[in-house]
Amino acid sequence: MTRGVPRWVIGLMLPIALLLLWQAWGSAANNVRMPLPTKVAAAAVQMVADGELPRAILQSVTRVFAGFMVAALLAIPLGLAMGHSRAIERNVDPLVESFRPIAAIAILPLAILWFGTGTSAAIFIVAYAAFFPLVVNTIAGTKRINPSLLQAAATMGIPRFTTIRTVLVPAALPSIGVGLRIAMGVAWTAIVAAELAVGAKAGGGGSGGVGQMMFVFYAYSIELNRIIVCMIAVGLVAFTLDRLLRGALRLAMPWSVR
Amino acid sequence: MSEAVRLRIEHAGKRFPAANGKETIAVEDVTLDVTQGEFLVLVGPSGCGKTTVLTMLAGLQLATSGQVLFDDRPITAPGPERGVMFQDYALFPWCTVWGNIEFGLRHGPAGAGMNTEARAQRVRHYIELVGLTGSEEKYPHQLSGGMRQRVALARLMANEPAVLLMDEPLAALDAQTRLILQDELLRIWGQDRPASERRTVVFITHAIDEAVFLADRIAVMTTHPGRIKALIDVPLPRPRDDRTRALPEFQALTQQIWNLIRDEAYRATVT
Amino acid sequence: MQGSQSTRTVSRGRAVVIYVRTMAVFFVVWALIAMWTGNPILLPSPLVAFEALVELARSLELFEQAAVSLLRMLGSLAIAASIAIPLGLLMGLYRVLDDVIDPTIELLRPISGIAWIPLGLFMFGIGNALPMFIMTYAAFFPILLGTVAGVRAVDGKLIDAARTMGVPHRAVLTHVVLPATLPALLVAVRLGVASAWTAVVASELIGAPSGLGYAIEWYRGLLMTPQVMSFIAMIGVLGYLCDRAVRELAQRLTPWAPETVASR
Repeated sequence: MTRGVPRWVIGLMLPIALLLLWQAWGSAANNVRMPLPTKVAAAAVQMVADGELPRAILQSVTRVFAGFMVAALLAIPLGLAMGHSRAIERNVDPLVESFRPIAAIAILPLAILWFGTGTSAAIFIVAYAAFFPLVVNTIAGTKRINPSLLQAAATMGIPRFTTIRTVLVPAALPSIGVGLRIAMGVAWTAIVAAELAVGAKAGGGGSGGVGQMMFVFYAYSIELNRIIVCMIAVGLVAFTLDRLLRGALRLAMPWSVR
Repeated sequence: MSEAVRLRIEHAGKRFPAANGKETIAVEDVTLDVTQGEFLVLVGPSGCGKTTVLTMLAGLQLATSGQVLFDDRPITAPGPERGVMFQDYALFPWCTVWGNIEFGLRHGPAGAGMNTEARAQRVRHYIELVGLTGSEEKYPHQLSGGMRQRVALARLMANEPAVLLMDEPLAALDAQTRLILQDELLRIWGQDRPASERRTVVFITHAIDEAVFLADRIAVMTTHPGRIKALIDVPLPRPRDDRTRALPEFQALTQQIWNLIRDEAYRATVT
Repeated sequence: MQGSQSTRTVSRGRAVVIYVRTMAVFFVVWALIAMWTGNPILLPSPLVAFEALVELARSLELFEQAAVSLLRMLGSLAIAASIAIPLGLLMGLYRVLDDVIDPTIELLRPISGIAWIPLGLFMFGIGNALPMFIMTYAAFFPILLGTVAGVRAVDGKLIDAARTMGVPHRAVLTHVVLPATLPALLVAVRLGVASAWTAVVASELIGAPSGLGYAIEWYRGLLMTPQVMSFIAMIGVLGYLCDRAVRELAQRLTPWAPETVASR
């Protein structure tokens, strides 16, 4: 607290000042096209009221979840295996590390070639994007396990498969959680990018979703206010997804210190 | 009164191939018997191989020469009959106190044939024995060091092992808690019961006074290469308590052991 | 259970063998699937793809486009870093500044650089400026936040130790805080590079007349898959090299730090 003023008040000072500045400068510019906070707010209300925005968000989010599930089902078991066995890691790692620097969006043209401009391509892109942070963090979490924990299980005579289930997985869970959060952020960015790019190439028709909606507003109507509403929506959804995931992780790991 | 030998180490050695192509000899030509109900303590400077001896008894590592036997059978793998207490307790962070103590019974052979109620009974018994009643639902991160040590001990004993192998279990505690837990350890072990009714213990420590306080016999180890320098009996009467520490025999034994170790310990601080 | 630590590090030679072996398996499987699907547009054989790669390299087109993208990234990185690093240092040192600025940062951060593309297209049109704007934005946040975290993470005892030796405030900043922050700062730059490189593709795909992202899209439009794959591979290789470069830099500048000693 600075000089007795609560932190959240100080935090709001800058954004509010910027908004006011934007409104003032924008109005003075006397250009009908100019987006203004007031117009953005009005557009937002309208887009939510007629269901346009919620529908688009739902579409994008559904794809993200689908792709996310696919990625998790592949990446987590693989990460556990690679983290636990040096041999497996050494053999699979070249493949993972070769593709990791290639961002999901770069694969998009290939995905479109293979799957067309529909939902399958979108899910593929999301899964690809989410895969790498998940696998990397799962490996790190598995490697970081205190070896005494595994030894303790061994000295209790616990068989190997049971140990994997009852010791390895719970011990790696915090890192897997970190991976999930990063993957979620990456997945959401990827879907917006994919929808945007597909919208740009498919000429506005096709897949739907927030990204594509944004492009439509740019290409067809140049409705900047609506574009900004979409941008804010992108940010809000990203934030909400992260919070939901954090909550879910806290429930799944009641023992974690935080 | 002679009790049966539970653990026998005969001319055991452990070598490792080191990174630079040479070999490291952790221990060499160790011979040691541990009888039923005996409390044996290994002391020595850092690197003398005490932990290696323990891990060989635990079955976590295998000797590269000689024999390591439990009840006259070679030790080839870890198992619940030779329970281990680790220096960092190795409590499962995702399990409560109850969950940790129950773990070996729930998932391992020690609990074979036990139904939920039978397990619960045993867990409750050991929670009471170590003095943790009321903390069953807590997680390890919510516990103090002394409490964690008790959980580790209870978890170990819930499997009712014949042998307890302990690797510096009190090392992470502050000096005051340490003294208290030394008393507790002897109580839980059953120091006032006859040897045939007690568990056999092999205990590692750096602290000489701790060794003398707890042990029936002390194996003093030396380093480079690791081997047993001396086996010293500790004839102090049981049950032992604070007054034991004031006895002149206690001081004499402590001094004797320190004299055996001092030079090596000094050298370890300057190299 | 010794299983998880069963075999430690292998020799350099053996690691190369395993790498080659895995990639060989990959290419063989690829070739088999390509033969099985029999559609050269959908999945060309690795040989055809390799030929296209060689041809693009020979005609230098591969490198020309790569250079364009690379230069854009370096430019964006420079801009982003020159703002984010000083700002991050100040925000880390002076809580007040952080209180004022951070909430705004946290409000903007979830809006990924990609989401700015339509607005950016409107503002800048198709050209050089758009990708650089997007990339600068993308790189800015990781660098800023990483720098702030790095400053905050400086062990207070180090500062105390210097002050008890009578070191004046200014010198504590330059000789204790700054070096102590450097490792985390370089990690932040690495993340910024990764962000910017991801953004480069997206922004060039949609809004630039040149560069690797543009090239990918151009050849896709012509259904020339081998070329598409070549450029994608180039993106991967360059992304890896850039990351490596920053890691090397970190190794030179901060050899004492554990983060730079670790291989990844």
